[in-house]
Amino acid sequence: MAVRKILCYPDPLLKMVCEPVAELNQACDTLAQDLLDTMLASGHSVGVAAPQIGVSQRMVVVDVSNSKLGRNNNHGQLVMINPEILEQSGQKSMREGCMSVPDYTGNVVRAEEILVQFLDRRGDQQAIRATGFEAVAIQHELDHLDGLLFLDRVSSLKTDLFRRKKR
Amino acid sequence: MNHFALTIIGRDHPGIVARVTKVLFDLGCNIADSSCTILGGQFAMILIISHPRFSTRESFGTAFEPIEQDGLSVFLRTLQAGGEAAPQLPGELCLISVYGSDKPGIVYPVVKELGDRQINITDLNTQLVGSPERPVYVMMIEAILPPGIPLEKLAEVMAQLKDRLQVDISVRDITPVEL
Ligand SMILES: [Zn+2]
Repeated sequence: MAVRKILCYPDPLLKMVCEPVAELNQACDTLAQDLLDTMLASGHSVGVAAPQIGVSQRMVVVDVSNSKLGRNNNHGQLVMINPEILEQSGQKSMREGCMSVPDYTGNVVRAEEILVQFLDRRGDQQAIRATGFEAVAIQHELDHLDGLLFLDRVSSLKTDLFRRKKR
Repeated sequence: MNHFALTIIGRDHPGIVARVTKVLFDLGCNIADSSCTILGGQFAMILIISHPRFSTRESFGTAFEPIEQDGLSVFLRTLQAGGEAAPQLPGELCLISVYGSDKPGIVYPVVKELGDRQINITDLNTQLVGSPERPVYVMMIEAILPPGIPLEKLAEVMAQLKDRLQVDISVRDITPVEL
């Protein structure tokens, strides 16, 4: 049980594709707890991915239940091991930031609704349908497992809607 | 190390950024923050730059002359110490959309309400869109609400303006989500 240090870009680990978790053993459970502790300790964070604390394994934690945007629509505290998005639909744009990329924010368009499959902390297969902010948070964290940062997904430099249409 | 604000504007065409940054590169300048965009038919560049040895504008010599001969206006200003550092402003980031049939006097009344309340504008852009017969003016403002001013209060102020100016205004929280 430990709060771990969040790695920041340009740490090379953040740009690597993580390995699947091979076996749900004690080390794996400790990693889950460390991720939860680290998320909690950062106060405002709603998710942490294993590579952000220096472990190149496919595991993330997400919890939007305490945030203004996710309070009314969430699955509580999620530990997701070897997660995979099976379906996605809709579009939602949010201004994202990331603890591993301090001081920078950008508008990112992501699916509004996702069906995601994963192993929970006990090793049971789960599939949940997440929408809205929770869906965005899950997609952001899952990107970390593939070495992608939100910087790779910024969709517009301006906050406006009108600029795109040229006269 | 001294920092400089460099502003360049001129008729838009491909290659302006490459032209300008080549000069900076050859001089050995660093580009810190920069923002470049098309305004009307003009391309406008604003850059905060530094150089390990340059301390005054004179240090740049005639480096920008070729750019000016290309029809671009170049303006260089020396920043006072610390002028390159972004201030950390506390508060919620919000976006104010103002739009309506084009008429004089939309921008000032809106930003005056913000200025009067010490609401800091971090980004603002305006654009004339729509058809020539029915031009529509669109202004987007990003601003930081100081802790004492809730979004609802700002929305109230803007609602009054909306009636007075006969434009549409909406206000929303765009505080980035940290993931
Ligand atoms: Zn992140």
